[in-house]
Amino acid sequence: MLDAILPVLAGISILAGSIFSLLAAIGILRLPDLFTRMHAASKAGTMGAGLMFLAVALISFNGSVILRAFVGFLFVLLTAPVSAHLLARAAYFAKQPMTSLTRFDDLKDAPPPND
Amino acid sequence: MSAQEFLDLSVSVSLGVLALAFLLTVVRILKGPTVPDRVLGLDMLVSIGIGFIVVIAIKTGYYLYLDVAISLGLVGFLATVAFARFVLQIGLRAQRNGSIDPEEKRNA
Amino acid sequence: MNFAMVSLILALVWVAITGNFSAPNLLMGWLISLLAMWVVRNQMTTPILVSRMRRVIGLILLFLYELVLSAFRVARLVLTPNIRSRLKPGIVAFPVTAKSDVEITLLANLITLTPGTLSVDVSEDRSVIYVHCISVDDKQDVIRDIAEGFEAKIIEVFE
Repeated sequence: MLDAILPVLAGISILAGSIFSLLAAIGILRLPDLFTRMHAASKAGTMGAGLMFLAVALISFNGSVILRAFVGFLFVLLTAPVSAHLLARAAYFAKQPMTSLTRFDDLKDAPPPND
Repeated sequence: MSAQEFLDLSVSVSLGVLALAFLLTVVRILKGPTVPDRVLGLDMLVSIGIGFIVVIAIKTGYYLYLDVAISLGLVGFLATVAFARFVLQIGLRAQRNGSIDPEEKRNA
Repeated sequence: MNFAMVSLILALVWVAITGNFSAPNLLMGWLISLLAMWVVRNQMTTPILVSRMRRVIGLILLFLYELVLSAFRVARLVLTPNIRSRLKPGIVAFPVTAKSDVEITLLANLITLTPGTLSVDVSEDRSVIYVHCISVDDKQDVIRDIAEGFEAKIIEVFE
C-alpha cells in the first residue's frame, strides 16, 4: 500500500519542485529590477529546493537519510532569507537602481551603514 | 503505469525542467546589468544545482549525494554573503569618492 | 531542560545522522556535542522553545502555509502576460514592537519568505524593519498584516 503511494507522492514533489525552480528562473528573467527579482528567487527558489528534499524523505525508507533530507530542508529554509536580506541591503546602500514603477521608498532618508 | 514508472518518468521530466531553469538563469547572469543582478543569478544557480543533485540522488539511489547537496548549499550561502559584502563596500566607496551621483543613478 | 540533556539529544541526533547505532559511535557523538556546547558556552541560555512546544509548532505551521502561498503567488505573477501592470513595488517602514535580537532576526526571515514582502534593512535602534513589497496599495495594510500575523505569534512564543 505504502509502496504504491509514496513513489507517486515523491514524483509529484519532484515535478512541483522543478517547476517552482523554473518559475523562479522565469521571474528572475522577466521582473524589472533587482528587488522584485529577489522576491521570485527567494520564495519560489526555496520552495523548489525544499520540495526536492521532501521527495527524498518520502521514498528513502531510511531513518538517517530522512533526517539528512530534513536537515537539508531546514538549512535551505534558514540560509535563503539571510542571503536575500544581505544582498538586498548591500544593493540598496550601493544605490542599486530601482524600477520606475516603484511607488514609495521609506528607507530613502536612512543614513548609510558604517561598515 | 506503476508507481515506480511514474517516479522514473517524473525524474526524467524534472531533469529537463531544471536544465531549462538553469539556462534561463544563465541568460540573466549574462545580461546583468549590474553586479548584484549577477550575484542573485549565481545564488539561483546554486539552488537549482541543489535540486539537480537531489534528483540525481533519487535516480541513482546513492543517498550520499544528499551530503553533497547540503555542502553545495553551504558554499553557495557563504559565497553570496561574501559577494553582498563586496557589493556594499564597493558601493559605499564609490559614493564617498563622489564618482556616482546617487540620485541621478536611482532615477535613471 | 539542563545542558546534560541537550548534549544527550545532540548525541542521539549524531547517531541518527551517521546511521550507526553502536555504543562507540554514541560516545563519539556525545563527546562532539560536549565540544560543540563548550565552544558556544557563553551564548547558551536555557532553551525556552521546549517549554512552549505547542506555540512553536503553531508558528512553524503558519510559516509553512505562508511559504506555499507565497510561492504560488510569485508563480502566478511571473506568468502574467503584462507583468509591469501587476507590479506596485515600494519600501515600507514597519515599526517593530518585538525587542530581542532573536525575535527580530526570526521576524525578518519570516517576512522574506512570505507573500510579496522582503526585508531589506533593520534600523540602528532596532525599532524599524524596512520591507520591500512587490505589490502594495496601502502601506497600512502591509503593516497590519505583519503585526497581526507573524509578529503576534513570535511575541507569543518568546514572551
